[in-house]
Amino acid sequence: MAEKPHMNLAVIGHIDHGKSTLVGRLMFETGAVPAHLIEKYKAEAKEKGKESFAFAWVMDTLKEERERGITIDIAHKRFDTDKYYFTIVDCPGHRDFVKNMITGASQADAAILVVAAPDGVMDQTREHVFLSRTLGINQLIIAVNKMDAADYSEERYNEVKKEVSQLLGMVGFKADEIPFIPTSAFEGDNMKEPSANTPWYKGPSILESLNALVTPEKPDTLPLRIPVQDAYTISGIGTVPVGRVETGVMKKGQKVTFMPSGATGEVKSIEMHHEEAEQAVPGDNIGWNVRGIGKNDVRRGDVCGPADKPPSVAEEFTGQIVVLQHPSAITVGYTPVFHCHTTQTACTLMSLDKKLDPKSGQVKEENPTFIKAGDAAIVTIKPTRPMCIEPVKEIPQLGRFAIRDMGMTIAAGLCMSVKQKQ
Amino acid sequence: MGEVAATMKIMPAGVETDLDDLKNKLEAALPEGSSIYASETEPIAFGLKALKVVVLVGDLEGGTEPVEEAFAAVEGVESVQVTELGRPV
Repeated sequence: MAEKPHMNLAVIGHIDHGKSTLVGRLMFETGAVPAHLIEKYKAEAKEKGKESFAFAWVMDTLKEERERGITIDIAHKRFDTDKYYFTIVDCPGHRDFVKNMITGASQADAAILVVAAPDGVMDQTREHVFLSRTLGINQLIIAVNKMDAADYSEERYNEVKKEVSQLLGMVGFKADEIPFIPTSAFEGDNMKEPSANTPWYKGPSILESLNALVTPEKPDTLPLRIPVQDAYTISGIGTVPVGRVETGVMKKGQKVTFMPSGATGEVKSIEMHHEEAEQAVPGDNIGWNVRGIGKNDVRRGDVCGPADKPPSVAEEFTGQIVVLQHPSAITVGYTPVFHCHTTQTACTLMSLDKKLDPKSGQVKEENPTFIKAGDAAIVTIKPTRPMCIEPVKEIPQLGRFAIRDMGMTIAAGLCMSVKQKQ
Repeated sequence: MGEVAATMKIMPAGVETDLDDLKNKLEAALPEGSSIYASETEPIAFGLKALKVVVLVGDLEGGTEPVEEAFAAVEGVESVQVTELGRPV
């Protein structure tokens, strides 16, 4: 049987709105929890009464299970629907992990946003919606959760739906194309089948909307971009940069350019898993060798692209950022470190152009004198040394960045436009 | 709060770097509160191998940075990259 298409699914939302319960319920409903564990679980639930019906328990049991067989895939939570198999991309609560979500490999293809019906939109709901947009997660499913705690009220559901729709609209999501589902992950309402508790709701269940997701296109039609992770000198071969293909396709014999150095040559050989390959596509971890490229022509943070469409090097760029945490105020002249693909480059904020209102999405202030935690803003940024970055609209994989300073992730952002270095 | 499992890809200084030895050195360099859960080697290209380690860290301030910094300072390490992040199952 052919393997089902794979998707990475993030489960996001405010703390205590029921993210882990929803993940546990999904794994339970799709049979991802081994049968003998369900039996054990049922027995235990019976013993302790319904109060202990917590899906955290399912996760704990899985944890015990994994401790018996050590595997490198410890962080993988997999479940299957009829159409796809999903891996849950967990979002640790602390903001300092945002950097990993931007520069790491496990980009989510879709997300379930969990909003507890009794609370509605909270701080982290807002932050996660901003981040999803920044991280390029374009497919969302909204679970208006804990409906059991809101008496399965249609009125409350509609209020929350309206509130979330406004939030989605402001960051550019089309709320009317996004499924909103009244759920109780705890009770199992509308997770797999329509619930008798919400007769007023006629839409799909969570599992049905997961099946309705669209597999993201492989970015192999975009121009070739391979951020260089490291460059080696290997005897008998020469200079070997290594890295992961983000976009496009690289073929043997192709003429490529490394930016910012501008060094250009013909691809002599490509290897992947120690085997020679004729070409490399997005997601491939490769080492490659380019005729005429010396050790000093290429280093970590450089980007390799086609000679006729080389990676862009920014003199300055405009970015939209979300400030996640900062002890005081951010002003012009601030020079933190930007983490973008494989580069870490100090960049200076040259101007604060617009401050955006997180509630309406409208420009709240032109040329603000400072921005602080919780603000979204459009800013102009100047790298302190040549740096490759691309507008997110052209090559999303190379247009996202995290801003770090003082051991913290200060902000996440995306590149709107680039003023090319001449 | 709780644990976070970060999969890190460690690139060695060169083809001849002993990865077993390197793994021991990484283990010794771990900041307090973190641990190596599992590791394996991943062939890359032209004889180069990466060391993939899964490190358990707390869901705390600083994220994976303290571990990345500690690893980057180990002799024989060329670079450290977090490739995956998740809650341990």
